Amino acid sequence: MTEAIIPGAAAVLPPAADPTAPLSERKQARRENWRLIRRRPGFIVGLIISLFWVLCAILGTHIAPKSPTKFLAKPNISPNGAFWFGTDKLGRDIFARVLVGAREVLVVAPVAALLGVIGGTLLGLLMGYKGGLVDSVLSRLVEAVLAMPTILIALLAVTTLGKSRFVVICTVAALFVPIVSRTVRAAVLAERNLDYVTSAKLRGESTMFIVGREILPNVLGPIIVETTVRIGYAIFTVAGLAFLGAGPEQGSPDWGAQVNEARQSLNGGIWWPTVFPALAIASLVIAVNLIADSIQSVLEA
Amino acid sequence: MKRYILGRLLQTVITLWILATVVFFLVNVLPGNPGRTIYGNTAPEVVVEKYNRQIGYYDPAITQYGRAMKQLFTLDYGNSWRFNKPVSSVVWPAFGRSAKLAILALILTVPIAILAGRFAAKRRDSLLDRTIVTTGLATSSLPEFVTGSLLLYLFCVKWKIFKAFADPPAGTSFFGQWRYLLLPAIAMAIVYFGYVARMTRAGVINALNADYTRTATMKGLSPRQVMNRHIMRNALGPTIAVVAVQIGYLFGGLVMIETVFNYSGIGSLLLKAIVQKDMPVLQATIIMIGLVYMLATLAADLLIAWLNPRILLKAS
Repeated sequence: MTEAIIPGAAAVLPPAADPTAPLSERKQARRENWRLIRRRPGFIVGLIISLFWVLCAILGTHIAPKSPTKFLAKPNISPNGAFWFGTDKLGRDIFARVLVGAREVLVVAPVAALLGVIGGTLLGLLMGYKGGLVDSVLSRLVEAVLAMPTILIALLAVTTLGKSRFVVICTVAALFVPIVSRTVRAAVLAERNLDYVTSAKLRGESTMFIVGREILPNVLGPIIVETTVRIGYAIFTVAGLAFLGAGPEQGSPDWGAQVNEARQSLNGGIWWPTVFPALAIASLVIAVNLIADSIQSVLEA
Repeated sequence: MKRYILGRLLQTVITLWILATVVFFLVNVLPGNPGRTIYGNTAPEVVVEKYNRQIGYYDPAITQYGRAMKQLFTLDYGNSWRFNKPVSSVVWPAFGRSAKLAILALILTVPIAILAGRFAAKRRDSLLDRTIVTTGLATSSLPEFVTGSLLLYLFCVKWKIFKAFADPPAGTSFFGQWRYLLLPAIAMAIVYFGYVARMTRAGVINALNADYTRTATMKGLSPRQVMNRHIMRNALGPTIAVVAVQIGYLFGGLVMIETVFNYSGIGSLLLKAIVQKDMPVLQATIIMIGLVYMLATLAADLLIAWLNPRILLKAS
């Protein structure tokens, strides 16, 4: 999917985005893109679902009708009027646990994705602009990391370094850096030899200025696309880690962990502790991907 | 071509070396005492010490690293700390079972996804096209354990069509085994369908707009001939690349699917090794999965270069 971003890279922002052009023109192009994105049904649906979960994450315990961690009733009661999603094997309210469970993933995943994008952007700018030996060596390293199954390396790292939020965030971010850097590098390569860069060099601007103020604004398109895609993958990875037992503390209302704890009782016909958190993950991941897809198709059109 | 192949081979070796190094560092951070792990808490200290010395637990890090590198090339990881038998006798059977599952998933995914992608491209922007694209996006973005759990609920608990355990009882015939494997394979196929279908669709759309397609149509070839001889041949390049990368992901995703379906393949072996801190098995399984991943990508790159030699020009 990353390859698909490259050809459109140069065309992401219309020529109006040339830094020498009046600012209003660039603003106008941005506003036009935003208008196109907003009109896409996928974007609207994705945004509504995502906002719902963000709201749950922020308000969490305040809007949940019952406590997500207290043992309130008999274990494994099927969904009914009092317990909309039933109770789990410890008699906790699954509806409350699903609502509050949004918090864990929505704190960890976006932070990890953003850190990965920032790191990857810096690395990609360096590789793309410097070129030469630096680029060749780093490119080989990036390819090596890309060839590793993300979830396995993350799993190994989290189990060895400890199951804290901090470790999960750092691991996922570190695994995303090379992926993002490759996209940014390709976008920078397309810009590097354009006239505006040459003229900035002739003006005697510093490398920091050329990379930060001239090139960066012109490769923002692919970076924005990559950010939304990465948030989707981060949710995927964080939920997967929790499912494999490398998530937060036992008993905390995390979706992946809930599915993991409950899946053994699935065979006995007790489906509600597994199915509701699984559907919650599904809805959030699909929503984020709908947003990412809408932004991608507008910015790359 | 020769230069390209050599370059790619070298790159694969380097990648493997980096993977082994990363795994080595992560594994050695883990506090653990292999002798104690094997002999249990009640064993006398002398026995534990002796074992640890025997496997080189007290060696300096650089010696241990050298040993890890040697293991990488011989694929001999010594004895498991848990099963008390050679790692190879634990890893290979599990690998075989996983391969069976992965192959079945690929057989289910690839033809259907390519047909769906081609179909969608031909009817671009129609309702059916949108349905295929959106469904593909949705299913391919789901974590494997979510798809797996939901399928398990529907097919094993609600409708009782399949068995909830993927491990067939001993002595089940070759064809009898497929019935047990079908549901987990479908779960994986659902995840991978989206990637392959979308990539085929994009490739076909590109090829449909290409000059050579217009030429082929103008010179009077039938639409079917244009499609088979000109469009598909060009459109399949990216698809092959995606399928190859998916083989790697298939093996990564196996960890989740095998856990959901209680299947004793390499994924659940890896998870068990992590939980039990069985380092030799852990290293061997990760390297094995990495190896499959890299060989698949290598094979795909060579196949693509053979189908479309222009790649070679770009690479050199």
